[in-house]
Amino acid sequence: MTISEVRATTPVAVPGGEVGPPGPSLVRLPLVGTTAASTGTGTGTGTAVASTHRRSLGQGWQRLIGVAILLVVWEVVSLAGWVGPQELAAPTAVISAGAHLIADGQLGDALWASLQRVLWGLVVGVPLGAALALVAGLSRAGENLVDAPVQMLRFVPIIGLESLFVLWLGVGQTAKISMIALGVMFPVYINTFAAVRSIDPRYHELADVVGLGRWGRIRRIVLPATVPGFLVGLRMAMAVAWLLLVFAEQINASSGLGYLIVEAQTYFQSNVIVVCLACYAVLGLLTDVLVRRLEKLLLPWAPGR
Amino acid sequence: MTVLAVQPAPAIPADRAVVVRGLQRNFGTRRVLRGVDLEIYRGEFVALLGRSGSGKSTILRALAGLDRGGSGELYVPRRRAVVYQDPRLLPWARVVDNVVLGLDGPETASRGAKALSEVGLDGHERDWPKTLSGGEAQRVSLARALVSDPELLLLDEPFGALDALTRIRMHGLVRELCERHHPAVLLVTHDVDEAILLADRVLVLTDGRLSLDTPVTVGHPRTGADPAFSALRSRLLSELGVAEDGHAAR
Repeated sequence: MTISEVRATTPVAVPGGEVGPPGPSLVRLPLVGTTAASTGTGTGTGTAVASTHRRSLGQGWQRLIGVAILLVVWEVVSLAGWVGPQELAAPTAVISAGAHLIADGQLGDALWASLQRVLWGLVVGVPLGAALALVAGLSRAGENLVDAPVQMLRFVPIIGLESLFVLWLGVGQTAKISMIALGVMFPVYINTFAAVRSIDPRYHELADVVGLGRWGRIRRIVLPATVPGFLVGLRMAMAVAWLLLVFAEQINASSGLGYLIVEAQTYFQSNVIVVCLACYAVLGLLTDVLVRRLEKLLLPWAPGR
Repeated sequence: MTVLAVQPAPAIPADRAVVVRGLQRNFGTRRVLRGVDLEIYRGEFVALLGRSGSGKSTILRALAGLDRGGSGELYVPRRRAVVYQDPRLLPWARVVDNVVLGLDGPETASRGAKALSEVGLDGHERDWPKTLSGGEAQRVSLARALVSDPELLLLDEPFGALDALTRIRMHGLVRELCERHHPAVLLVTHDVDEAILLADRVLVLTDGRLSLDTPVTVGHPRTGADPAFSALRSRLLSELGVAEDGHAAR
């Protein structure tokens, strides 16, 4: 009931003994809690939480239905021939293509090749970015020496550097991994550096007061304070790594998901392309989830967790 | 304690913990401290009152070794500890690790646990600071200050951010801890009642100089009901330029 309905129907005793609807000065606010204990906790909040949970389940179903409708439309569009199988295969064709690729091991091999490149790129680029950020963040001299060249390089599009890399390192793995490593280094550097520089100066003052030496300060204050910023950089680095991988593998690769895509392109196999794209998406999602898990593990002390 | 090298004080009697002579401090063109002379005996509890912006915290920071931009002579003990208005705990370290931060020597963990139990927080060693209430966090800060057994304890409006009830409890706690450990104490506060309650001596800072330096002769236990308490209170308030009912006393 709306407030105005309640106002009209709820009688209230007025001075003089007459009973009538509430005067214009007061309105009754409707309350939705129950007086009787309905759950084990017996409080109004218990029922409120239960109904919220039910409501969000309903919303979850709505979201699934939305996706399902999209898939159905896609299938129908393909079946009706409005979009040819060479342009965009139907979902069923994509699934069967995926099944074949898994069965003959092609997808597994491609996945493994792609994953290895990304992992190597991360293993090289992330520690490099973090180390440079610490050097730059911990001293003026470090900042001047390190930050200027990094900021300069930052705006050179990595994708454009690809030709240089191939010139230097040939068309093999090294060039691809180097590109990924370089691309990954920048977000890690920028975020970690910002984190080091934005440590609350009151903590540094505290270090003075309790007599922490330089290494104690780095160990107890600088490093732990920098972890949240570093993890933000890591998440961005993951996204960049996958993007650069897609690019690198499509230029000149002999293995990996990108290679599968290029081959499928040659033979107009859009279903294979969609399978590979779906794999990229899933891999990207998985690495993001991984970093979030890492955050939860490394930051038990952070508020709001 | 701090990196600042303290030269041995030549003509200072052994019973003094703090000797300040002619301390001046300018910030740009603003003369905040215009020549402060102050002495604190070992084990003495001194309260420093003053209006906002009078320079009380400046004196404290100079004694802590955090502000070296002044001029004059400053003699302080080597082992000093500071408690700020904000607890200033490292959020990424557990409570006990916060307490023993910077502590060297043997058995830091047990000394940390002991300090925590003195402030009434046993069992909280492994907690994260985010789980503590304001009063609990400030007690951890106190434990951290006392764990190193300091010769000089500097308290910079330590209870200003706490609610009135917690503040009352903290007063009792500070009194207890000082009776047990006997550091020299400088309490910077704007709360006149707090100063009379806790201190052996009260100073008032006005216009960059100490305008009043008086012992607190109120008998223990000190309560507001004691006429000596209210007499001193009125005197201090008028020195600070505030009448009892809140109007300016001038």
